[in-house]
Amino acid sequence: MSARRPYVRSMDGWWKRDAYFISYMAREVTAVFVALYAIVLLFGVVRLSQGEAAFNGWLQYLTTPWMKVFHLIVLAVFCYHTWSWFNIMPKTMPIIFFGGKRLQPGTITGTGLVASVVACLAVLLIVRGMS
Amino acid sequence: MADTEKIIEIQVLRYRPEQDKEPVLQSFKVPFTDDMSVLQGLQYIKDFLDGTLSFRWSCRMAICGSCGMMVDGKPKLSCKTFLREYYPQGLRVDALAHLPIERDLMVSVEDFVTKLESIKPYIIPKEPRTLEQGEYLQTPQQRDMYEQFSSCINCMLCYAACPQYGLNPSFTGPGILALMHRYNADSRDGGQAERNELGYADEGYWGCTAVGYCSEVCPKGVDPANAINQNKMASAINYFTRFITPGGAEK
Amino acid sequence: MEVFKADVAIVGAGGGGLRAAIAVAEADPTLKIALISKVLPMRSHTVAAEGGAAAVTRPDDSLDHHFNDTVGGGDWLCEQDVVEYFVEHAHEEMVQMEHWGCPWSRKEDGHANVRPFGGMKIERTWFAADKTGFHMLHTLFQTSIKYPSIKRFDEYFCSDLMVEDGRCQGVLAIEIATGEFTLIQAKAVILATGGAGRVFRENTNGGIVTGDGMALAYRHGVPLRDMEFMQYHPTCMPRTGLLFTEACRGEGGLLLNKDGYRYLQDYGLGPAEDKPRNKFMELGPRDRLSQAFWHEQQKGRTIQGPFGSVVNLDLRHLGEAYLRERLPQIYELAEEFMGIDPAHTPVPVVPGVHYTMGGILADGKTASSLPGLYSVGECSSVGIHGANRLGSNSLTELIVFGKVAGVEAAKFAKSVSISNPGAIQKQAEAAQARALGVVNKSNGTERMAVLRNEMAQSMEDGCGIYRLGTTMQATCDKIDELRQRYKNLKLEDKSKVYNTEWLLGIELGYLLEVAQVIVYSAINRKESRGSHQRLDGFEERDDVKYLKHSLAYYTGDGAPRIEYGDVKITKSKPGTRAYGAAGVKADADRHAEGADNG
Repeated sequence: MSARRPYVRSMDGWWKRDAYFISYMAREVTAVFVALYAIVLLFGVVRLSQGEAAFNGWLQYLTTPWMKVFHLIVLAVFCYHTWSWFNIMPKTMPIIFFGGKRLQPGTITGTGLVASVVACLAVLLIVRGMS
Repeated sequence: MADTEKIIEIQVLRYRPEQDKEPVLQSFKVPFTDDMSVLQGLQYIKDFLDGTLSFRWSCRMAICGSCGMMVDGKPKLSCKTFLREYYPQGLRVDALAHLPIERDLMVSVEDFVTKLESIKPYIIPKEPRTLEQGEYLQTPQQRDMYEQFSSCINCMLCYAACPQYGLNPSFTGPGILALMHRYNADSRDGGQAERNELGYADEGYWGCTAVGYCSEVCPKGVDPANAINQNKMASAINYFTRFITPGGAEK
Repeated sequence: MEVFKADVAIVGAGGGGLRAAIAVAEADPTLKIALISKVLPMRSHTVAAEGGAAAVTRPDDSLDHHFNDTVGGGDWLCEQDVVEYFVEHAHEEMVQMEHWGCPWSRKEDGHANVRPFGGMKIERTWFAADKTGFHMLHTLFQTSIKYPSIKRFDEYFCSDLMVEDGRCQGVLAIEIATGEFTLIQAKAVILATGGAGRVFRENTNGGIVTGDGMALAYRHGVPLRDMEFMQYHPTCMPRTGLLFTEACRGEGGLLLNKDGYRYLQDYGLGPAEDKPRNKFMELGPRDRLSQAFWHEQQKGRTIQGPFGSVVNLDLRHLGEAYLRERLPQIYELAEEFMGIDPAHTPVPVVPGVHYTMGGILADGKTASSLPGLYSVGECSSVGIHGANRLGSNSLTELIVFGKVAGVEAAKFAKSVSISNPGAIQKQAEAAQARALGVVNKSNGTERMAVLRNEMAQSMEDGCGIYRLGTTMQATCDKIDELRQRYKNLKLEDKSKVYNTEWLLGIELGYLLEVAQVIVYSAINRKESRGSHQRLDGFEERDDVKYLKHSLAYYTGDGAPRIEYGDVKITKSKPGTRAYGAAGVKADADRHAEGADNG
């Protein structure tokens, strides 16, 4: 007769146990904000289809104080989102050799971040140029 | 390396299945010098304070993979974690998280070993070769493609770092998936198709949500998160293409 | 009691045991193999071997060179016919390992690379960075999974051999998880349990290296051969004894005393040259290097500091990038355990006990004097190491003779059947009672750690790098005393599930018996040879009286009975063992006389 009795510990509240898990959960939660903002934009497209007045109303709504606060929060969340995803990106890529040397994770993350900043600036400039 | 002896408090999560209903904390006062590891602290307890304390250890040099445990909540090899880093506040030692505790600091290893055995962790030759033909040629760069993944010492720290494994133990888990990738990425091996069945299953690569902590705690720089996630693209392509290739969907 | 019926039982799942298991499985897939290990196979101490495995590979090398290096390195106490077999089969086994996936380090053209090693005339050491043992062990373990006939008993502790009808017919094992006993019947048994370095205090060995198989075979009347020869590795971490591989010197590392002087040139290993030269200076054999340290210490030329009395291993000139590629583990050990960056600071080192040259008497085909019992690896004395093992010969030994042991045991198993199972069962019950006696004793008074520490200290005092009759006698007396006190061992843990204290208690019994064999073999050898060096009037090698193997026989409670056996000489007559410039001259002289075979 075996006297073994393996004890299984509970996983309740696992994500609070380690700062690493909290930052992981934060990264996952930022995806919710991305989705939320997509809904906001989608709503704008719907309003556009309803005519100029409707679209202008939507634009007007975006400038209310509550929406400004919302945008600031979303901006901060998006920055974290961008950083955290490029941070994990090297883990999603096969080993790459560049000029006989192995591409370092820091290079991949850095390139991604620079690319996203450049893309944002480019969009900003184009929008500015149009208006 | 100061020789002056200090005293540190080590709290150990004890579990003796024949007497404890559930794990209980026990505290020990241990004299230590600056070059002493957490493992040596536990050995002191076993030698001089309480002979019933149980833990696995052997090589003392971070290569045999026996002595993984949670030190102040972090998965560590106790042989290369030093008591001085926890002085004067003291430290707490638990069995590796996410794995059933058999006794004290010893966890069940059966699940890990069964999974290891299931993934065909050996060369399935791409081209058979006789001994007389000598070794397969493999350039240093080809070797680099799998070498880091072959450095896994099976210490299971990555399992203690993986919440997905904790929540769902049927997930193959970081260390074993890294080992699977090690063989798939070896230029001598041709067994990838056989292993992909396991990798592409729900318990395989897709059980991972890229938490990434496994790679963080790995004492050997294996980077299991990379081994897993670099395969998701191929797996996704396989998933969609099997509907458009003739007969593919039946696989 | 559970009974498992196997054809071949293998105790120990390190490099030797795994290679043997695979050999049995390949020899005949119908044979049922029980592979018993007190730890998960990948924890076995093969894992800690760093530098590499020797096999003649380069076109400018030859089997004769490897043979001569090994036999001379062993101070002519090797079984030369066995060494011949060994060097002939080394290369094919390396290739076999390569086919099984071992990540050998490569040259740019894709061929396996070789590095220089101590006492080797030509570069012939295959390596996988500085984790060669680790990679070989994991490769063998993972490959073994391919074979369905191998039934593993992981975390089963072997507590006795079953000997019936004058042959070995199985083992008794304790399932560590439950404390329950399993009788494993087998027609042949292979012991692959590793060395006994833990009888010493400062050693490079893992906690599991406790001489189990040696003690088990010895108790059943098989002699232990040449046990006085314990190898001190010259470059270990002070206090912990952790190993800095010989490959550090193979790659160009230098040994310096407190004046920054390459002191080895004062001990017949010079002259000192800028470039590493095989069999010169730092690439001399381990016994000579450890002895040179001892002399430096006597002269007060070692470095005194926080790490005790040390010399420096200087790797700085190799540069960080090269060190990270070739010696990554060494880099990590120095950084993490000592807080030293070896690319910028020399690493303090001392000699430490590393390897048991002797072991269970085995013939060239690994068979012991007990029919049905085979042995391989460090627990075995198949006869290739003599009085001093050369670095990188032991990993090769595991796979060359692991295969031989598997093939031979399979052959034997097919030629016999289990006789008298009833008697074996009775024996198993008696052995079970003995093992339980260690834990169930209620009136013990001796604390295990105290006995263990006294043993280790006494062995270090009596059987160190240099030995004296008086101190060896003191150690003999001490070990005799400890064996008596061991009967009064007190264990606190009376449980069944993972009772590790119980197993440590049984292991201490093994250790004490092996320690006794070592010191009695040593005190009886009145000469100096290889790693056995005396300073009490026996400073020279004495081929007339002691070109002999010592054989220690079990006598129960008392000291072992020491006998002597002949050494097999085939083509290399004992000569002067010299290194450095003196070695070149000695080789030339031998060649002129025709005493060598080259």
